[in-house]
Amino acid sequence: MKFFLLTISLFSFLCISVYAQENSLTVKGIILEAGTNVPLPGANVYWEMDPQKGDISNVDGLFSVPQVTLPATLIITYIGFEKISQTITETDNLGSLRILLRPEERSLEEVVVTERRADENVRGMEMGKSILPISTIKNIPALFGEVDLLRSLQLLPGIQTAGEGTTGLFVRGGSSDQNLIQIDGAPVYNPSHFFGFFSVFNPDALENVELYRGNIPAQYGGRLSSLVDVSLKEGNTQSIRGEGGIGTISSRLTVDGPLFSDKSSFVISGRRTYADIFLGLANDPNIRNNALHFYDLSGKLMFRPTEKDKITISSYYGSDYLGLSELFGFGWSNWVNSGVWKRSISDILFLDVNLYYSQYNYEVSFSDEENGFVWDNKLAETGGKVDLMFLPNDKWKINAGYHGQYYGFAPISLLPDPGSAISTIETNPRNGIQNNFYISSLYDISEGLSIEAGLRLGLYNQVGKGVSYIYESGVPQSNESITDTITYSSFANMKFYNGLEPRVALRYMISPSLSFKAAYNRNFQYIQVATNSSAGLPIDRWVPAGPHISPIRSDQYSIGLFQNLSNNMWEVSIESYYKDFNNIIDLRQGANIIFTDNIETEIRTGRGWAYGLEFLLRKNIGKTTGWLGYTYSRTYRQIEGISMGLPFNPRFDRPHDLSLVLNHQINSVWSTSFTFVYTTGQAVTFPIGVYDIDTQRVPLYGPMRNEDRFPDYHRADASVTYKRPDAGRKWRGSWNFSIYNIYGRKNPFSYQFTEILNEEINFTPTPEQPIVTRRPGVVKTYLFTFLPSITYNFEF
Amino acid sequence: MKEKFLYLIIIALLPLVSCQEEVFLELKENPSTVVIEAIWTDVSGLNQVSVSRSKGYYDSEQAEIVTDAEVYILNQNTGEKFNFQYLPQAQTYLPINNRVARPGNSYQLNVIYDTCHYQSVGITLHPPRLDSIAVDFREERPFREEGYYLTIYGDIPFTSDNNYRIRIVRNDTLLNRRNDYFLFDDEFGTEILNRGFELNGYAFKKNDRVRLELYRLNRDAFDYLNELVGLLFNDGGLFSPPPQNPTSNIKVISGGGDVLGYFMTSTVVNASLTIDED
Repeated sequence: MKFFLLTISLFSFLCISVYAQENSLTVKGIILEAGTNVPLPGANVYWEMDPQKGDISNVDGLFSVPQVTLPATLIITYIGFEKISQTITETDNLGSLRILLRPEERSLEEVVVTERRADENVRGMEMGKSILPISTIKNIPALFGEVDLLRSLQLLPGIQTAGEGTTGLFVRGGSSDQNLIQIDGAPVYNPSHFFGFFSVFNPDALENVELYRGNIPAQYGGRLSSLVDVSLKEGNTQSIRGEGGIGTISSRLTVDGPLFSDKSSFVISGRRTYADIFLGLANDPNIRNNALHFYDLSGKLMFRPTEKDKITISSYYGSDYLGLSELFGFGWSNWVNSGVWKRSISDILFLDVNLYYSQYNYEVSFSDEENGFVWDNKLAETGGKVDLMFLPNDKWKINAGYHGQYYGFAPISLLPDPGSAISTIETNPRNGIQNNFYISSLYDISEGLSIEAGLRLGLYNQVGKGVSYIYESGVPQSNESITDTITYSSFANMKFYNGLEPRVALRYMISPSLSFKAAYNRNFQYIQVATNSSAGLPIDRWVPAGPHISPIRSDQYSIGLFQNLSNNMWEVSIESYYKDFNNIIDLRQGANIIFTDNIETEIRTGRGWAYGLEFLLRKNIGKTTGWLGYTYSRTYRQIEGISMGLPFNPRFDRPHDLSLVLNHQINSVWSTSFTFVYTTGQAVTFPIGVYDIDTQRVPLYGPMRNEDRFPDYHRADASVTYKRPDAGRKWRGSWNFSIYNIYGRKNPFSYQFTEILNEEINFTPTPEQPIVTRRPGVVKTYLFTFLPSITYNFEF
Repeated sequence: MKEKFLYLIIIALLPLVSCQEEVFLELKENPSTVVIEAIWTDVSGLNQVSVSRSKGYYDSEQAEIVTDAEVYILNQNTGEKFNFQYLPQAQTYLPINNRVARPGNSYQLNVIYDTCHYQSVGITLHPPRLDSIAVDFREERPFREEGYYLTIYGDIPFTSDNNYRIRIVRNDTLLNRRNDYFLFDDEFGTEILNRGFELNGYAFKKNDRVRLELYRLNRDAFDYLNELVGLLFNDGGLFSPPPQNPTSNIKVISGGGDVLGYFMTSTVVNASLTIDED
């Protein structure tokens, strides 16, 4: 603690002393899209006579450039918009210029609204940061035509997938629960629909997505491996507009516009699948009476009460439901709410306040006279963040703030129906309070060298209501080894942990278009999922740190070279990282996770490490855009009781990972996209023999985990978009034809080692059809081969 | 039990979007491992010890049976020793003089073969009470085929060691598909037999002859069978845990190497009936 206070003092001292030296006059303003008044982040602003004195507009369109001798000409450029040259005189309002940019009428590319400047990847401090414009994501060929944010992120270097068709992200050796996926600052606990095949994000509702996997700024914390920061779109303030699509399995609609005046707006967006409509057409009543759907609803209100204040309130609700003949029901939902207040306190001081509430719950019901039950659970996180950004001068940025979190993980409850033969089960709740304080400073030491240093302090308490168990010798071996039980009242302290998380990064410009970057990050994570399957399930059990489960910790070291070529047309980067993990958990064999209250008896604890080299070649400008990414990486875990205590690869360790994404604008009407992915096969365990026991023929496995591999995975997808030449019309439509797995590669989803009866892979013996022959065999299950889809998209 | 149910739902959904085909994979092979399956109950006809060796995965020959092992069980309460003898017709070791386990006693299994000594210990726990079996006809509905279903009534008077297995023999054929394993403990309470416990996974037809065997197991044998069922359901996919051999409760005392299988000692409650119209 003393160290933390000392560091804060040191930072404060540095702030004051340097600010005293650097303060100077500035010209400030805001850049808006003409016609909609939507702020344009990422626009270049500089003086014609002195281009070195410039700025990039921030996420709110605000910019600040050093004042020069006036009058002078200010140049504003932005991809897809007309360039503006505006003469600034002493009589202008130098503190709040208002600049309107008009879209280029003959722009071939869809306008991409992004905070990213053209050479941000070279000049910025970020390492392992990726920004995927929503327009790019929409162009990527998609499974069933469903444009998917998380599956698009899997195409970036350093991000692995668990397997075919899943949206889980495995970032630089981390498991899928180590990603903080947030909507407008609020976490999403289960970011997938339909058992992970689709992510919860409706692309039309999104403004921006940023992925941090290397240097995560000190403002963020709580997960070890990545931050996926998703912003919901704000409505425009000029007129009612809409967009949507009718797809193969779902349709969507988004409407936005001004709310009361041009200082407020709304947007509402919805999406629903209609698989259950097709099920209803089936002749078989067992299929016809089933339900299978998911939907999303989101909305966002924006208010600008003053020139200096902006308030947004957003909400997302997404739900899945699987019902079988009114007998079995399984539903789960996310409800994520966020309020953000941004205020420009002064020209150099900015305040961001974010309050949020995120809830995830599931319910399984089984209607049966003898064994009926309802089983449910709810996770909730309530939080608040206050961030102050201080810009003493154009070379220095300081962020400091607080983030408070309350985890409320409700008891897992199984209530039998009246008359049911089974008994009630209810675990104890698990709650936690986490207070985080941070400060970070970004300073341009010289023209070429910039350093960012940050420190985050996490103070975590597991609190009541709750129950803690005492075990023989202090080791949670089994239920039988419990010697005492301690019950805690509401908010009573059960266990305290704290952790300092230093974050350091530097960037050195070797030349105007080539930079070297290095970063070190430490992260703590106080909640995690207890599972030993690779794909997330809706019933996954999140476990907060407590008396017997320590928080997990990672340390990541990364370096990289970043270069832009041909006037920022091409980006090339190569990054390398080493990362280690402490207190990683896995499950003991045969673990019962879902209904146990003393979950610590079911887990094993160990460590892990990962390293890799990531290469990215990206083209951002021109008729043909896209990227080629290649990663070589290895991931290891070492956990007592697993694989003889020796290092092993988790399933998602896939050393070679190559992605090619190409978008080509053929003309103003036709465009096409193509993706190709290649990865080493998943690390798995195959049998080394077979034996007979209890009348069963059972595969024999060796003591080591995941020493075998699936065959390499590869797949190509393609799509063509036809956009009607209807410029100027109110209704603008386009057709998208896509094919997933264009050459029909049968990538394995699983291999089952089983007996082949009567030479059929799924033979079920009956008294009339007895077993005649039996032999050992391997049955491969594969999912999607040559899957075409069609989507009609529209705007009005 | 409910987790398995949910897992079955996911497996049932996969065929909607998946295809299957048989393939050949090159698999590593290790030297064969000794497999011991020892059943020691208070019912003489069930008691036996099988000793065999594992084989290559694609080897369709019968498993190698070990015929020259020394097998005996010690009663740790009385010091009594029960020798087993290999019977070629049954390809297993049977207790000499049809000796049986005594409820409440602790037993030690010993198998000595090829310089190795394997050992395991278990208590033959007292049985629960089985009072009656009711038979009800149920019509077809999702997850349930039409047929006659059994509901068992009784009492579990124990506060610990509540690990049970039910085996069902229909018309002299043991139901032994992976779906036929019926294992339960006291996770859902011990009053399950008092209220009547319907065996809803088994549909019978008229005139079926049914024999029901209720075993009360030691926890390690119960865990072994649970892990065995988990392995039988493991499809190697993303939703399955990494496959592992069930944890054996047999230890290698001397001679080194590994051993597979388990030792199960239990009391057995038997009940037989014939399904008829009434």
